[in-house]
Amino acid sequence: MVKADIRIELKHGVADPEGENTRKALELLGFKGIKSVKTVKLFEVEMDAEPEEAKEAAEEMCRRLLANPVIQTFRVDLK
Amino acid sequence: MDMAELTRKRDLPFPLYEVDIFSASDRDLMNISASMGLNLSLDEMHEVRKYFDAKGRLPTDIELQSIAQAWSEHCCYKSSKVILREHIFTIKHPDVLAKGDAGVMVFDDEYAYALRVESHNHPSAIEPYGGAATGIGGIVRDILAMGAQPVALVDPLFFGPLDLKETPPGVKLPKYLVRGVVSGIRDYGNRIGIPTVAGGVFFDPSYTGNCLVNVGCVGFMRRDRLLNNAVKGVGDVLILAGGRTGRDGIHGVNFASAELTETSEEESRGSVQLGDPITKEPLIHACLEVNERGLISGIKDLGGGGLSCVVGEISLAGGCGADVELDRVPLKEEGLAPWEIWVSESQERMMLATPEENVDAVLEVFALWDVTATVIGRVVSDQRVRITYDGELIYELDLDFLTKGPEYCRPWAPPSSASKESFLAPNLPEDVNAIILSTLADPNIASKEWMVLQYDHEVRASTVVKPLQGKTGFRGPGDGVVIKPLMDSYRGLAIAIGVNPWFTSQDPYNGGRSSVDEMCRNIAAVGGRPHSLTDCMNFGNPEKPERLYEFREAVRGVGEMARAMNLAVPSGNVSFYNETALGPTLPTPTCMGVGIVEDIRKCVTTDLKRAQNPVYLIGETKDEMGASILYRRYGGKGGKVPEVDATALSRNIDTVLAAGQAGMLRSCHDCADGGLAITLAEMCIGGDLGLQLDISGMGDLSFETKLFSESNSRFVVEVDAVKRSDFERLAKDAIYLGVVDQDKRMVIRDGHRKVDLKVAAMRKAWSDTLWRLV
Amino acid sequence: MNIQDIRVCVLRIEGTNCEEEAYNAFKLLGADPEKVHLKQLTGDCPPSMRRDLDDYQILMFPGGFSAGDYVRAGAIFAARIKSRLAPDVENFVSSGRPVLGICNGFQILVELGLLPSFDEILSEEPQAALYTNDSGRFECRPTYLKHENHGKCVFTSQLPRGEVVLFPSAHAEGNLRFPTDREMEIVRRLEENDQIVFRYVDADGNYAGYPWCPSGTVANIGGICNPEGNVLGLMPHPERVMFRYQHPDWTRDQDPNAPGDGRVIFSSALEYVSRRY
Repeated sequence: MVKADIRIELKHGVADPEGENTRKALELLGFKGIKSVKTVKLFEVEMDAEPEEAKEAAEEMCRRLLANPVIQTFRVDLK
Repeated sequence: MDMAELTRKRDLPFPLYEVDIFSASDRDLMNISASMGLNLSLDEMHEVRKYFDAKGRLPTDIELQSIAQAWSEHCCYKSSKVILREHIFTIKHPDVLAKGDAGVMVFDDEYAYALRVESHNHPSAIEPYGGAATGIGGIVRDILAMGAQPVALVDPLFFGPLDLKETPPGVKLPKYLVRGVVSGIRDYGNRIGIPTVAGGVFFDPSYTGNCLVNVGCVGFMRRDRLLNNAVKGVGDVLILAGGRTGRDGIHGVNFASAELTETSEEESRGSVQLGDPITKEPLIHACLEVNERGLISGIKDLGGGGLSCVVGEISLAGGCGADVELDRVPLKEEGLAPWEIWVSESQERMMLATPEENVDAVLEVFALWDVTATVIGRVVSDQRVRITYDGELIYELDLDFLTKGPEYCRPWAPPSSASKESFLAPNLPEDVNAIILSTLADPNIASKEWMVLQYDHEVRASTVVKPLQGKTGFRGPGDGVVIKPLMDSYRGLAIAIGVNPWFTSQDPYNGGRSSVDEMCRNIAAVGGRPHSLTDCMNFGNPEKPERLYEFREAVRGVGEMARAMNLAVPSGNVSFYNETALGPTLPTPTCMGVGIVEDIRKCVTTDLKRAQNPVYLIGETKDEMGASILYRRYGGKGGKVPEVDATALSRNIDTVLAAGQAGMLRSCHDCADGGLAITLAEMCIGGDLGLQLDISGMGDLSFETKLFSESNSRFVVEVDAVKRSDFERLAKDAIYLGVVDQDKRMVIRDGHRKVDLKVAAMRKAWSDTLWRLV
Repeated sequence: MNIQDIRVCVLRIEGTNCEEEAYNAFKLLGADPEKVHLKQLTGDCPPSMRRDLDDYQILMFPGGFSAGDYVRAGAIFAARIKSRLAPDVENFVSSGRPVLGICNGFQILVELGLLPSFDEILSEEPQAALYTNDSGRFECRPTYLKHENHGKCVFTSQLPRGEVVLFPSAHAEGNLRFPTDREMEIVRRLEENDQIVFRYVDADGNYAGYPWCPSGTVANIGGICNPEGNVLGLMPHPERVMFRYQHPDWTRDQDPNAPGDGRVIFSSALEYVSRRY
């Protein structure tokens, strides 16, 4: 079995209101010195497949559902 | 003896323990109660022992857990029942169709509406987002369990001061709680597509350690589709539908029935359930569809106590019992002990009783919506519940014993006269303009736009009078909202809240009465005839006589007013133990009311409409400044809390409704927090128009009393100029104050004293506070 | 074709929650709408419930939070359609029949590649995104929209160009975005193609920022159509203002019995279908 970590990030230059709001909330909880908070989506997909196939499948998942290329980039790491 | 000696594991492939309560000393019994998280008192443990003694066998862990759930304050109202019976349960009303998980009332010959409000306080204080979201989930299921489509959500919230910078250990910052609770309501309510239309948010230091999150819901249905929360009889099968069962929400009811402490957070994480609106949304569709098609006998929501409460209650309500195969319950994770499955409060679950022959059809509907639905048991004629797990009998309890629960007539006592506050006049600045501006900016008065706009208050497209009212871009506050539930009828439902914790704290009886008065005013102000109320009584620890006294007096006040105003009270909720080491919260009798609007096209909003229209005050203003916002802000203490004259309230409501029906009114706003001055200011803000008034006709009162007294039963109305004489004939006691003015200033004269404020300045003061603080 | 014979497929999955008012909007105007679950089109249901997209003249994606808006608003609904129904949908659109997406429906159309649809009916990948509002919040407020289409869009044929209408908005992700480096170029292309249908304006009809434009969307765009004009996606909700008494300010000197601003969207589409078929 292979586990693919699929990381979806906002493209450079796209604003991140969720990250910004989370930063505010963290400061309310008393955390000091926070410079920025970025939201990243991580999907862990477990597959019964060879690493090569798994990587290809994960990338296909990104193209078909998990990422919108207009605003997001993706990265697949196998474990 | 320690626990290990008192428990014995049965030789089975799953965890099941017998508990030796026979050889346990009193100390052991309390030990058992504490270590198993039962929260049962010694007397209650003795009752349990007596029952099993008669049966001649030891209880299993699942049986003890089940009894603890059923006997919790949250489930059986053991401290409040006696009082509620005296003042509320005995209220009779011909339009009540059902009193179950929610109350059901006549709407017209063909249709009915359902209503209920309840609290979700302790979970929200620990985990605001999830706590509030699951509160919505629970109240929606209560409405659904009557067979009704939820059509509106209402959320009155109570927090500590927003600008608080530090809190004691174990207590979260109010600002953090507000953001979490509002996000939770937003994300859940918006996702299930039920408009959140009303509520309000209240701030007081007493709520710092124990915020209150009250959630209300109104539903709508055809009368012939009304379901009771009961099985029909033997031959019915029990189907568990919705979310899977997990460890989330174990012991939630016990948690709700004790005071919060510093360590509550760590100990209670498991008591806070996680919500899943995207299981709930199709669950609503599927439940309504099987009801519409007449496939089911009864339905009941899984709330506090989970399966342990619902199976017994739905069976007993139909005069029956049930056999349950607990191993058939779909689980979220492996390895749950049977007792955990039985008491879990996992969200988004409903229990359906279905005649055997309809089971396939029912399961098909759920399958289309991809909602899990599983047959878990069947109805039997004996009034007892038996559970097997992998074929082993692990539970057998008589429903009479289980559901009767203890009932307490606890002692109550008024506070000693020494603790009553003696009168102290407030220290008021000379400049009344400054008082008004600063009061408009008080978080308890200021615009709640920050919250309202995050809630989808228009989904379903039936919110015809909205929570914010006025010129687009300039909207002010509304009193009530109106839902038009049918496409082909102009009949509507007016929905509003009334609650005044400060009055209730200083004078619980008049506080209870005032809360109902305010609720009725809010309904009438938009054009509804008050019809029913449902209450959520949030009080402190009932084992303390002074707390119970407050509860008793407030309930007496609410009950008397309901009778006087001919309001049905078909449902309600009590939340005790709103108390921490910091002290109790203010006693908070939240009343949610529904009124009937004959024709929604005649509804009236609070915003001023047109220059030169005359403005009147309906109702008598008295020197009743006790617990008013003016006193609270400027250091006044004691004083008389506003009383209610129910006859005057009825008369004033009749006047407002008659004038509205006749098309005389252009705007109407009830006089509440902040008195006449704030009421008028809010009407200017929404209408973006000014006022030229002279209030010397209000009688022999000081200028400040006229402006800021919070006397009950009053309305300010703007009358269509051409109908002025008609109105004066109709409302002989109404006091003429002056006219709406094109010049955008609020000018109020009284002899040599004068208010003169720009509408823009008032709007700024009123609008900015919450945005700034949150 | 008579209006009462026009069949409207109001398509839904779990989390779609504005289907009732969408259904009512078409029903009110005399058409024959039906609430259809996606599984009824893909055949994952008992045979009696099976439906064929080709039997309908209008396809409507209502608002809501389909599949919880998890992953991205509208993405799961879109992916489910794409994997099972892409040819049916392409055929529906290329035949000229109207497709309407409101709010979550607009998000679905964008994720599906039916909008802006520059070069092909159904683009392989999304060519736009409806991204989180600048405020980071869900925004439920009345919004004014100026009609800017020159006549291509079949949903606004009865609405004069330049007219301002009030449709309420209620969304957290209504911020239309194109690839950052080519954003203005694409907006120009939309203008050239006459694909811009609505832009947010203030009460006086002037382009304005927040809160009049609740999301911070590019060039104030609130709704666009495909180059052929038969697919419309918009964030605000015309189906919530079919009557004047549903407007937020109707108690201010307006006749509650008058039609609401939203009606024109549905009547235009029905008129188009009845003329064409």
